[in-house]
Amino acid sequence: MFEFFFRYPARVFSQGSFVLLSGWPKWVLGLLLLGAAVVLGWRIYSRIGRTSHNLKYWQASVIWLLESAAVCLILILLWQPAMVIAELKPHQNVIAILIDDSRSMAISEGGITREQQAKLALQNNVLAELQAKFQTRLYRLNSSVSRVDNIQQLADATAPATHIGDGLKQLLDETSDIPLGGVVLLTDGSDNSGGIDRDTIAALRNRHIPVHTVGLGAEVVSPDVEVDDAVIAPRVMANSRLSAQVTFHQHGYDGRKATLAVRDGDQLLASREITFASAGKIQSQELLFNASAAGAKSLQFSIDPQPDERNRLNNSVTRPVNVESAQRRILYVEGEPRWEYKFIRRAEDDDKTVQIVSMLRTTENKIYRQGISNPQELADGFPVRAEDLFGYAGIIIGSVEAGYFTPVQQDLLREFVDRRGGGLLWLGGHSSLADGVWGGSSLVDLLPIVLPTHKDTFHRAPAYAELTSAGADSLICRLADDPDANARRWKKLPYLMDYQEAGTPKPGAAVLAEMRAGGSKYPMLITQNYGRGRTAVLATSGTWRWQMSMPLGDTSHQMFWQQLLRWLAADTPSHIVASTSARTLLDDGHIHLSADVRDAEYQPAPDAKAEAHIIGPGSISSTIEMSPVPDTPGSFQADWTADKSGSYVAEVTAQKSGHALGSDVVTFLRADDVAENFHTEQNRDLLERLAQQTGARYWRPSDLGRLTDDIPYSEAGITMRETKDLWNLPVIFLALLLMRSVEWLLRRRWGIV
Amino acid sequence: MRSLWRASVIVLVLGMAGSVVAFQGGSFGVQGRGSFFPQSYSDDSSRNSKEPSEFYWSRLRYTSRTDGYGGYGGYGYGSSWSRDYPKADRQFLMALKRLTRIEARPTEQVVDLDSDDIFNYPWVYAVQVANWTFTDAEAKRLHDYLLKGGFLMVDDFHGTADWDRFLAGMRMVFPDRPIEDLKDQDEIFHVLYDIGARFQVPGEQYVWSGRTYEKDGYVPKWRAIRDDQGRVMVAICHNMHLGDAWEWADDPRYPEPFASMAFRVGLDYIMYGITH
Repeated sequence: MFEFFFRYPARVFSQGSFVLLSGWPKWVLGLLLLGAAVVLGWRIYSRIGRTSHNLKYWQASVIWLLESAAVCLILILLWQPAMVIAELKPHQNVIAILIDDSRSMAISEGGITREQQAKLALQNNVLAELQAKFQTRLYRLNSSVSRVDNIQQLADATAPATHIGDGLKQLLDETSDIPLGGVVLLTDGSDNSGGIDRDTIAALRNRHIPVHTVGLGAEVVSPDVEVDDAVIAPRVMANSRLSAQVTFHQHGYDGRKATLAVRDGDQLLASREITFASAGKIQSQELLFNASAAGAKSLQFSIDPQPDERNRLNNSVTRPVNVESAQRRILYVEGEPRWEYKFIRRAEDDDKTVQIVSMLRTTENKIYRQGISNPQELADGFPVRAEDLFGYAGIIIGSVEAGYFTPVQQDLLREFVDRRGGGLLWLGGHSSLADGVWGGSSLVDLLPIVLPTHKDTFHRAPAYAELTSAGADSLICRLADDPDANARRWKKLPYLMDYQEAGTPKPGAAVLAEMRAGGSKYPMLITQNYGRGRTAVLATSGTWRWQMSMPLGDTSHQMFWQQLLRWLAADTPSHIVASTSARTLLDDGHIHLSADVRDAEYQPAPDAKAEAHIIGPGSISSTIEMSPVPDTPGSFQADWTADKSGSYVAEVTAQKSGHALGSDVVTFLRADDVAENFHTEQNRDLLERLAQQTGARYWRPSDLGRLTDDIPYSEAGITMRETKDLWNLPVIFLALLLMRSVEWLLRRRWGIV
Repeated sequence: MRSLWRASVIVLVLGMAGSVVAFQGGSFGVQGRGSFFPQSYSDDSSRNSKEPSEFYWSRLRYTSRTDGYGGYGGYGYGSSWSRDYPKADRQFLMALKRLTRIEARPTEQVVDLDSDDIFNYPWVYAVQVANWTFTDAEAKRLHDYLLKGGFLMVDDFHGTADWDRFLAGMRMVFPDRPIEDLKDQDEIFHVLYDIGARFQVPGEQYVWSGRTYEKDGYVPKWRAIRDDQGRVMVAICHNMHLGDAWEWADDPRYPEPFASMAFRVGLDYIMYGITH
């Protein structure tokens, strides 16, 4: 229809340049257009009131508009308007035709597979017409591209993965010395690498190569349930509570209930009932479970198969998690013997992954130490050297006034959080927070609150803890997995023995719990991130009453403290922090290893020597040296390829001047033949974006007949500038005719003929 | 004559009652059974001791075997639980305040086993425990109290017969948990003071008898019951009388070494109870 009125494809108008071919000056055209409009206007308006016709101003304006438009259009046509556009020279350019032959293309719809749909679409004169105008090359696309001589050579869609971006990049490399005029990509858009990277798009745009995409397959698969993702921390402390956010969607099961579960091998770790929302809506559910014993684990998150489900292989995803056994040590400095001290220590007694090392001022001149690893530890009081203090992962400051710490020690505390990445927790007490003059200390920035300016903020009076909405979402405050049960459990907690006015939370801080006392509410537990670490305030020393007043066997107090102290210490990095470019490798074993290496004082160690020792399935064992990252001191990197499917463990070690700095362990998983089971519906969004970003079009197979008219307009390859006259467009004559007809009809109607 | 005799009896009874009240230094009011704040202080004998504190010297009040003859009922003052009360408590609290950073109330607190209020006081002291008796509910409360983190120090019972009667009560609380002798290297003797050579601390009777023992309790027994993690939760001072040593510490006739040992042991036990 478009080309009936405009003679040329829309691409001519969207990509071409408008020109006036006449040699007459353009300013003359401008003057004439202006003059014609003025003259016509003067003629029409001068007649108002002077004739017998009672013409109104608005009617005169309409007549003037129509007449002016017609005259102007004619004047423009006299200057010979045209479109200039680059067009591929016939028979001198190559058109690459890429046909996806991954396993998702074998999905049958209406008795015919997607790959067969692609072949039929091409064989229906499209390929022949392209071959008549251009040289064509056929390629098979999966994790790479490979050339085939004819359509019959395509396999029966058995390739395990599709990497569209990699395939296009490879095609660009292989065709760098030939005039590639365009690409036709026939695929369902099911890409296993997560999309097309910017570099590939940029390379296509640099060469002005349009990628025409032809979408194959249904855009909705129904009925079906698919687990989209499971987001979980890559590393966790042994026996700690772990939270996973599982996203999924479905078609055909609206309102139906199902079970979402997480398993470690055959062992069920947790499950919960879910109710499907409306079709296609992405749902997110949290699963809480215990990480159990240390080790590299592959956790499977799944939704039980539903009746008549079309694809049951996309109901589960696997995620590697490294459960660490390393014990985190927390230094607890307490200024006076008090019950909170005792019961915090007792709460951690059962936690083998966190050890509290405490120094308690029992008298003015005596410090009682507990949890020390040797007689020298803390023998001289609070550390004054970074290498001594930075050995801890977290620090608790009890009822201790700020002045107890020397300026050097206060600087160390700041560096402990900021540079070391440790956690710092202040407890309430009569020498704490505002009453301990912390507001005037050099560490005031680290506090997640603005302390009150007055004294006597600590009150030995009952206060009831109340969970905030932020606290309900926090693992620190999870006393029960179910959110409602958790809220009920918090309401059952006995009152706290005391409370402290902590002040006003700073912007960016999170208030996880509040205290209700004497008709007022006060922040109880406030957390924030600071530098590489984190800080918190628990504005009471009376949680011990939860332990003593709840029934024997109740674990509320113990769970709260274990979770709070794990939050404090778990994310504190060691001297080496290793990471991988991906945790799950889908059909492609390439992985990029990175490591941040720090010395004993947690300063970047650019002169260290780092290496990674990788262990994988089938007795794979490899040691690779990591190279420094330019311009990023202390950062090291390496590339490696996992050849086999399975779980891998990489231990990164570093040494400096012959001394070992430490090690870190990361896990990753190579999963082959899995990705093609997911996102089996056509990814039209991806294909439309690819076409749009490369100046091409998205096509349905049924519309492919017009591809041969559209594809020549490309600036890639060998082109010529074509001039397309516009004076003879049918739409212009129709417009002139329409304007004159409308004017005539209006004049008749208004009686001014 | 008959009316004079009656009047004399009434005066005598009133006088005795008044003297007991005066001795106790306060009213007969019993502390609240409900909320910790503020009823719990109602039994304090000092008018100036209402300030809440971190630590309360808590004396366990229990029903005595001999209470049927006491005249004040099972919990009345003058029963076994109140031996040396309150002077021993207050003199000990003076030492506690002077020698440690524990923020303690200067006056004692009486706690009962027939109320959950005991859970607000994680450290309790009991004397004359050869005479204690428990109902099943009280035994269960003490059992839960100790396993949840409470600490009990028992003192002032002597000899074999006392031990057997103490054990009868304790077996209602922990039927089969072992009782062991504390060793010199046990942490409880080193929290605040390193107490190596311990000796028998006699009661005030030593002043006139010259004996450090009572009944057949010739050898002091420093014993304990531990929880599953090996922490001492019941510290047993058998064949000694630390409470008397605190009470008579200001009496020039009572030897200083006994008082000094008693204070050091008491402070170590409190410091252990508040740290373990």
